[in-house]
Amino acid sequence: MEALANLGVNWKLFLAQAVNFLILLFILRRFAYRPMLDFLEKRSERIEKGLQDAEAATKKLSEMEEKEKKVLTAARSEAKTLIEAAETAAKKRDALHLAATEGKAKQFLEEARTKIEEEKKKVLLEAKREIAEVVALSVEKILKEKVDATKDKQLIQEMVK
Amino acid sequence: MEISIAAEKLFSIGGLPVTNAFLIGFLVSVFLILLTQIVVKKMALIPRGAQNVLEVIFEGLLSFIESVLGDKAQARRFFPLITTIFLFILVSNWIGLLPGAGTIGLTHLKDGQATIVPFLRSTSADLNFTIALSIIVVLTIQVSGIMALGIVKYGKKFFVSPFHKPYGLGTIMGLLELVSEFAKLLSFSFRLFGNIFAGEILLIVMLHLVPYFIPLPFLFLEVFVGFIQAAVFAMLTLVFLKMAMMEGAH
Repeated sequence: MEALANLGVNWKLFLAQAVNFLILLFILRRFAYRPMLDFLEKRSERIEKGLQDAEAATKKLSEMEEKEKKVLTAARSEAKTLIEAAETAAKKRDALHLAATEGKAKQFLEEARTKIEEEKKKVLLEAKREIAEVVALSVEKILKEKVDATKDKQLIQEMVK
Repeated sequence: MEISIAAEKLFSIGGLPVTNAFLIGFLVSVFLILLTQIVVKKMALIPRGAQNVLEVIFEGLLSFIESVLGDKAQARRFFPLITTIFLFILVSNWIGLLPGAGTIGLTHLKDGQATIVPFLRSTSADLNFTIALSIIVVLTIQVSGIMALGIVKYGKKFFVSPFHKPYGLGTIMGLLELVSEFAKLLSFSFRLFGNIFAGEILLIVMLHLVPYFIPLPFLFLEVFVGFIQAAVFAMLTLVFLKMAMMEGAH
């Protein structure tokens, strides 16, 4: 013990140093290490989660791209068939339309023709009658006499026939 | 020039002689608490400045402790002790290297001659501290060993029956082991004290011999030694803890 005292060891100081260190240890443990380590752990967890999220996001993105491609090709083919169908339908309709107009035109033509025929007949009839009258008048003039109206008409009728 | 193995007394408070080494120990404690509190209070997700440095130290130490103990929960349990030992010894070692260590202080008369009692003296250059810390560490080691293995199993490391396999040899080895537990106390305390105290004396001597430039390499050396001694103390504590908690190999 005397040797230790010569080296400056003093039980009061020794105790004071020990207590000082223990107090420092407890204060640091409570107010520095625990919050710090918790914080570090939380952050590393967060980083890990962030990395996982990023990975999931890229995976999802590629999936979406694939889906998009599929949808696009499907849409394209559908559009193609739609266009084709529309084209054929339009062609059909055109043909029908054409036939209908043709028919109508024919009908018009026919109608016109019959009308013309009728007109022709009418005109002809009128002409005959006029001619008959003219002939009658001329005959009357030639004969300078009138038999009588009824006989005359009869005669003219026979002549014209 | 006066070299004293004991830390010099500055004043006393209620019967407790306050030495320069104790004063520095107290100031180092205050410094560490303030530093960590400033960092903890302003902890940001993206580390900056002092937070970066402390994070590097803490993460490095934690992963090192984990690699030695091989268990995450245990690593977190012993992290405070190891880290406090390391930081406290490191800072107190380096404080002793500051300019003014050994030159700024109270004058006092001794044998009719005025000498200086410096304010700055590394806490590690005081046997009171190194022995106190060694006792704390050795007690922690024993208690951890007993708690991990149970008192009977732990005791069997040191008291081996001479009627089993190695017949007597095991008994002697066990007793040697017991002696080495006490030797740890001495080796811990005197290694740290010797290194730091010798370093301070070396610096004083060099400064008195050649005041300029020549002491510089020695100053660098002492910065290095201060770090190494702090690391050695902390690592040995860790390794002894691990050994105490392992079951006996013999």
